[in-house]
Amino acid sequence: MKTLRRNMLAIPIIVWIGLLVGTPLIFVFVLSFLSRDNLGNIVVAFTLDNYKRIFDPIYIRVFFNSFLLATLTGLVTLLIGYPVAYITSGLNPKRRAVSIALIMLPFWLSSLLRTYGWIILLGNTGIINNILVGLNIIEKPLNMMYKFGTTLVGTAYMLIPFMIIAIFNSVDKLDRSYLEASYDLGAGRLKTFFNITIPLTLPGIFGGFTLVFIPALGLFFISDLLGGGKTIFLGNLINTQVTKGRNRPLGAAFSILMIVLVLVVLFIYSRAAKREEGGLFQ
Amino acid sequence: MGKSLLSLTGINKYYDKNHILKDVSFEVIDGEFLTFLGPSGCGKTTLLRCIAGLEEIDSGDILLKGQSIKGLSPNKRNVNTVFQNYSLFPHLNVYDNIAYGPRVKKSMAGDELKTKITDMLELVQMSGYEERMPNQLSGGEKQRIAIARALINEPDILLLDEPLGALDLKLRKHMQRELAHLQEKTGTTFIYVTHDQDEALNMSHRIAVIEKGRIQQLGSPREIYNNPRNLFVASFIGDRNIRKVKILEGGEGFAKVELGSNIIDIRCVHEAQHPCKSGDTAILAIHTDKMQVSCHEMPNSIKGIVTSIHFAGSQTRIDVDVDGEDMIVIEYLKNECECKVGDPVYLVWEETGAVLLPLEDSEDPRGFEEGDAV
Repeated sequence: MKTLRRNMLAIPIIVWIGLLVGTPLIFVFVLSFLSRDNLGNIVVAFTLDNYKRIFDPIYIRVFFNSFLLATLTGLVTLLIGYPVAYITSGLNPKRRAVSIALIMLPFWLSSLLRTYGWIILLGNTGIINNILVGLNIIEKPLNMMYKFGTTLVGTAYMLIPFMIIAIFNSVDKLDRSYLEASYDLGAGRLKTFFNITIPLTLPGIFGGFTLVFIPALGLFFISDLLGGGKTIFLGNLINTQVTKGRNRPLGAAFSILMIVLVLVVLFIYSRAAKREEGGLFQ
Repeated sequence: MGKSLLSLTGINKYYDKNHILKDVSFEVIDGEFLTFLGPSGCGKTTLLRCIAGLEEIDSGDILLKGQSIKGLSPNKRNVNTVFQNYSLFPHLNVYDNIAYGPRVKKSMAGDELKTKITDMLELVQMSGYEERMPNQLSGGEKQRIAIARALINEPDILLLDEPLGALDLKLRKHMQRELAHLQEKTGTTFIYVTHDQDEALNMSHRIAVIEKGRIQQLGSPREIYNNPRNLFVASFIGDRNIRKVKILEGGEGFAKVELGSNIIDIRCVHEAQHPCKSGDTAILAIHTDKMQVSCHEMPNSIKGIVTSIHFAGSQTRIDVDVDGEDMIVIEYLKNECECKVGDPVYLVWEETGAVLLPLEDSEDPRGFEEGDAV
C-alpha cells in the first residue's frame, strides 16, 4: 500500500507510455501472425508463415549485412569517439562546455539533411572530388558514393555523439588518483592508459557501443541515400515490406525479430555492465 | 645521524599566483621516519607530491642519493607513495594490485614475483587475501595493501600522504604503532604527512612543522614539543597558555619578565637568533599540563583567582584568572591544594614547560590576541 502511494505520481506516465509504446507494439506482434491477400490487405487468419520466411537464405544475408554494419559502426565510433571524449574531459570547464555543445550540435539539424550533406561532400561532382580534380591530383572523380563504406561513414557520423557522451561520462568520473598511483608505481602514460584508464572506463565503452549498435541495426534512410540501396539492411527490408512490398505481416515479423536481437544485445550489455559495476542503467 | 638520502634546496612552487612552497630546504637522512606536520592548506601534501614527481617545482632542486630528480616523471623516480584514499585499482584483486609495479617495470616475474608478494602480504599481516577485490576490504585492510603495493618496489623513500586520516581513532592508534614497527623492520626511509600532532609525535624520528609554505621548525619530537622555535610551533603543538610579556632583564638562558602584576623568571630560548633585550616585548608560552596550582604563596609564581574547575576523569582543568585574563591549568595528579572557585592561588610550572619566544615574525594560525590561552 505504501509503495503504491509512493509510486502514484508515476501512474500517468506509465499509462502514457503504455498507450503510445505498448499498444503499437502489441499491434505489430499480433500483425506478425496474420496473413494478407493478393492486394496487400490484412486477413485475420493465424499463420506462422511469416516467421518461416524470415529464415530464407536471402534474408539471412540481410541480417548478416545489418550485423556487420552495426558492429563496424560501433568500432569506428569507438575508435574516433574515445580520444574525443578523453580529450574533452581533460579540458577546462569553459572549453569543455564548448566541446560538448559542438558534439551535440548536429542533433539540432534534421538527420535527413545531414545525410544529404554527405552526398554534397562525397558525390562525383561533390566538394572533395571537385577540389581534387581542380588541383590536378586526380584526373577522374573518385567513386565514393553508393558503397557499403559510404553507408558506414554516414551511420557512424549519425551515431557518434552517443558514443562520445557515454564514454565522456565514464572518463569524467574516473578518479585521477588511480592514474597517479599507476605513474607512481612505475608505469608510463601508455601503460597507464591500457592498464588503468581503459579497464576503468569499460562501462562507458559498453554503454556507448550498445547505444550505437542498436540504432545502427535499424537505420534505413542512410543506406537508401548513401548506399544507393545496393546493400540491403534489416531496416530497408522492413521499410520495403511495409510500403512497396505491401506485406505488412512479414514486415511485422522482421520488426519482432529485430526487437529480439536488440534485447539480446541489451542482455549481454547488462551482464557486462554488472561485472564492471557501473554503466548506463545504474 | 646517518647520511643524507634526499636533499631539497630552495624549493618554490606556485599555483597560478599563489605561492604554495616558499624556499623550502632540508635533508632527509637515510632510514629515518620524517613527518611533515601542519594545518590543512599549509603545503605539506604539495611538498610530498613534489618529491613523488606528481607536481613540478618552479625553482630549486631535489637530489636523491646525490642525483637530481628534478623534472623526472614519477615513474622514473625510485620513490613510492601511499595515497590518502589508498587508490587501489578497483578492477584488480589484491595480488594484481601488488604485482602492478613489478609487472609494469618488468622487474620481477613468475615464481620470484609470487614469492615476493607472499612475503609482502605477510609483512603487512594480510596473508591469504590475494584473491580479494579492493571493495571487499575494510579501510585498515586497504591501507595495508596500499603499503604492500608500494613497498614491493623497494623504493628509496616511501611517501605516505595522511594514510590514516580515514580510519577511526582506535584503528588509527593501532596502525600508528604498526607503521612505526614496519618502518623499523624494513629500514625504509618514510616521509609521512599529517595534520595530527599526536600521530607525528608518536611515530617520527624527526618532524618538520610546516605553515604557509615554510618549514617553521625541523627537529626531533622532543625538541619540537619542548623547544618551539616560534609562536606558530608553540601554539600548534601541545596546549599552552600564551601571553605577551615585557622583558625587564635579559640574561644568558634566563630572563626576568613582567606578566601583568607578576614579575617572574623564565629560561630564554633561541638566544642566538633572538637575544632577550631589556624592554622588549616577547611571548611567554607555558604548557598547560606542566603548570600546577598552589594554595600557598610560592617563589617565582603567578598569582590568580580560580574561576572554574572541570573534572574530566584522569585530568582536571582549572581556569585561573590572572589580572583579568584566564590561564588554564591541566592537572593529572590530585593536588594537595583543594582549591575552590574564588580562591586566590599561585601558579607554578616546571622549568622546561615555559618558553620565551620572539614577538617578531610570530604568526598564530588562530589569530593571536593578547591574553589568549591557546
